[in-house]
Amino acid sequence: MINPLIYFLLFVKASLFSTGGLSNLPSLHQDLIGAGWAVDAQFGESIAIGQISPGPNGLWVVSLGYLTYGFLGAILALFAIAIPPFLVLGVAAVFARIARKRWVDGLMRGLSLAVIGVMASVCWTILRQPGVIWSGWLIAGGAFLLAASRRVNLIVILALAGALGSIIY
Amino acid sequence: MNDSQNVKARQVAAAPPNAAVLLRVWTLIGLQSFGGGASTQLLIQREFVQRRAWIGAEELLQLWNLCLFTPGINLIALTILIGRKLGGTRGIAVSVVGLLLPSAAVTCILAAGFEAVQHSTVVHAVLRGVVPATAGIMAVVGANFAAPVASRAVADGPRIAGISAAMIIAVTLSLTALKLSAAEVIVGAALLGVVIFTRWKGGASLPEDSFPLSDRSSLP
Repeated sequence: MINPLIYFLLFVKASLFSTGGLSNLPSLHQDLIGAGWAVDAQFGESIAIGQISPGPNGLWVVSLGYLTYGFLGAILALFAIAIPPFLVLGVAAVFARIARKRWVDGLMRGLSLAVIGVMASVCWTILRQPGVIWSGWLIAGGAFLLAASRRVNLIVILALAGALGSIIY
Repeated sequence: MNDSQNVKARQVAAAPPNAAVLLRVWTLIGLQSFGGGASTQLLIQREFVQRRAWIGAEELLQLWNLCLFTPGINLIALTILIGRKLGGTRGIAVSVVGLLLPSAAVTCILAAGFEAVQHSTVVHAVLRGVVPATAGIMAVVGANFAAPVASRAVADGPRIAGISAAMIIAVTLSLTALKLSAAEVIVGAALLGVVIFTRWKGGASLPEDSFPLSDRSSLP
């Protein structure tokens, strides 16, 4: 029998000690398998569902909740991932207090440059994935041009890419 | 890059939205962002910065910087900060609900029907087309964030511009070639930024309105 309170707290803990979408996976895997509340296959399935569903990648946890504990599980998982990001209000409050210090502007400039570099590395990592061949680079280039033009709806871009994917592969 | 991307925080003149409009915008972002975080980021830039000018490009990047220090899903933290800026506490509530609830509902429906589609070769082929497209979309998100950074660096002269470009390349290579962790690289870049960009002497300290993190509801 799943204990809903402990189940919820395990999800909160995983989210609290992670950053980004998938880094809560190891903690949830260890805890839920250990408690006998999930099986291995449910993790692979949840991540796959997270990939095809809309919204941030982190919503894969909602499908894990659904697969292991039905609608109640999905709702508990949703609350568990929604709560920890509220700590950003504390980060913003600290920042507001130090914002006028001379060194903070340099700190933010360094961070901004890092963010741009991180995004470049994400692009690179996606394109270096096994299975992405020259046609993948063409799709990426086409998506870049269409998205940069600002005239084309994102859904149209993704639908075109999906259609090309199903023709090519 | 287009001039509208360089809108400074305090030049943003558009009136803040009411809660219903904010809820609708976030719901559409949540439901349209197939392919993960890159899509969500692009939609946020398009809706809030480019189309409606509720937030400046540089300001959005600063909000995102704060989200890097927050546990959990960074995009939810960004949603909270944008919601607070545009509508105070109520703005936070409608933004988070709008982003998460409809897309979580779709996720449940897909989870319920997953048995039926998981072995479909069409689904796999579609995914293989969408995944590389997200790389192109992420590149646009990065370029949109880079625009205000670049214009400021260029205004500061060739030395600062060169250092800035070198730091972006160094961050990229540390993550891809050296396989350092993102946390290490981000903290390193921030500390390097303090050393390189801080003007310790001369000039007045920054005016209070240089930082756009106040929430609008608290203004007179």
